[in-house]
Amino acid sequence: MDKLTTLAEAVASIPSGSHVALPGFPITRCAMAFAREVIRQGIKGLTLSQCVGAMDADMLVGGGAVVRLICGGGSLDKFGRLNCVNRGIEDGTLQAEEYSSLSVAFRYLAGSLGLPFMPIRSLQGSDLIRQIKERTGSDVADITDPFTGDNWLVLKPLLPDVSIQVVHTADAEGNAWIMGPRWDNVEQAKASKRTILIAEHVVSTEMIRQQAEKTVIPGLLVSHVVELPFSAHPTSCYREYDYDAKEIEKYVKATSTPESFKAYLDEYVYGVKDHWGYLEKVGGLKHLNTLKADPILGY
Amino acid sequence: MDFDYNPSELMAAAGAREIKDREVVAVGLGLPVVASFLAKQTHAPNMTMLFELGVIDPEPVHAGVGLADPRVWHRAKVLSSFVDILGSILHKGRVDVGFLGGLETDQYGNLNTTLVGDPRGKFRHMVGSGGANDIASSAKRTIIIMRHDARKLKKTISFVTSPGYVTGGDSRAKAGMSGGPSRVITDKAIFGFHPETKQMMVISIHPGNTIEDVVGTMGFAPVVPKKVPFTEPPEKEQLRIIREVIDPRKMYMG
Repeated sequence: MDKLTTLAEAVASIPSGSHVALPGFPITRCAMAFAREVIRQGIKGLTLSQCVGAMDADMLVGGGAVVRLICGGGSLDKFGRLNCVNRGIEDGTLQAEEYSSLSVAFRYLAGSLGLPFMPIRSLQGSDLIRQIKERTGSDVADITDPFTGDNWLVLKPLLPDVSIQVVHTADAEGNAWIMGPRWDNVEQAKASKRTILIAEHVVSTEMIRQQAEKTVIPGLLVSHVVELPFSAHPTSCYREYDYDAKEIEKYVKATSTPESFKAYLDEYVYGVKDHWGYLEKVGGLKHLNTLKADPILGY
Repeated sequence: MDFDYNPSELMAAAGAREIKDREVVAVGLGLPVVASFLAKQTHAPNMTMLFELGVIDPEPVHAGVGLADPRVWHRAKVLSSFVDILGSILHKGRVDVGFLGGLETDQYGNLNTTLVGDPRGKFRHMVGSGGANDIASSAKRTIIIMRHDARKLKKTISFVTSPGYVTGGDSRAKAGMSGGPSRVITDKAIFGFHPETKQMMVISIHPGNTIEDVVGTMGFAPVVPKKVPFTEPPEKEQLRIIREVIDPRKMYMG
């Protein structure tokens, strides 16, 4: 089945208030074009989840699209912190449920396997678990191992309405290849009701069949396939393009106050019609070509 | 007193010495990266190095800005996932050493990377856990690397992101965890933990410091044994590898 569509149509399939699993890891393979389109379309009230909070989540929070964030902390690596997320946590406008990387990954894993809960050794003896119990009450519990009698903390599965995946290669049906580390992406796709793929390259199903061992997301999980180059810009996409240090620095500076971020959104999100307009705005093909990855190094 | 090395280089060398050959090591950002590569390139060539997002044994040729930088994944033997690294290796119990840094630690080696201030009042949110809580909970031992400052070595920390010995004694075991921190390496001293009370205990002080320099700049009183030796300074070869091979652009040690 051909699921090829535009980014605007794929994003329009997400109702306000949905739970969206985001694919980024601090400054790599973030769903940036997706985040910009969600903000342009005025979608609100989202719950976001990802193992480590990344630039895609920060932009969506700063753009006013998010009420709730489930993650294991996050940053923009050495470029800075998640200023919009942190501001939301500090002033109480964002409901943040903070775990660790593995506890969010295990919640997706439980969801992906159809299990009712997942035991974990993490979080014990920390303020993270105290805070999660205070804030959610129902997403964690203590049980007794029926075989040994030991006490275990168990986590409720995460079942997002939709996962967004920025992938290297996919066919029109949504069979997808991801190069490099995949952090939580595969478990996210399998735990979610459906997945929207944003692919750097769309190829024929015959091409996928030739190297099917590379397929990490099967097409049966996918509702929409969008072909969009540089969709993670200014973050990186391994073996495709490097991160754009100057544009990330600009973002970090802009997010330091709500006022300066509003100006940033006016220029880079509302001020352009779509992703193609954004790519022109940041320098077009001439600039983007300087970010192309070296085939040996991958960056 | 003049030294031919700086405190960061001594900390990296001291961290490297804690790793034995063939051990499996989970690594965070910054100085631990230098300590781990240093161990691998000197006395521990058969160690295995893990990064939480799904990277095993990379051989970077350029320094990265963090774990999300593909420079750090270069020439890895495995590129996989959180469930693979933090799940089937760490949670399964195969990680010998976890390296952790933080904003604050207390006398039991509990670590804060989440916030500064009052979590129920005015606070500044920082980065949170990432894989740090998972490593602190499941590694066989952890090594904490931190600047020596009374604002970082505190009696009470603002938030426990990653557990050390919790409230001391057997409280960590009672919470369902084995392991725990074995060393805290600062720019003035190396600490261990008292076998019974689990309070931080001075193991050695770095050349050029007195015990007063060490204890006087902490927010709690560590256990001080009668005789405290000086920390062994970094060897010439260790310094050469740090400066020329691992971090020539001073991205980690700047």
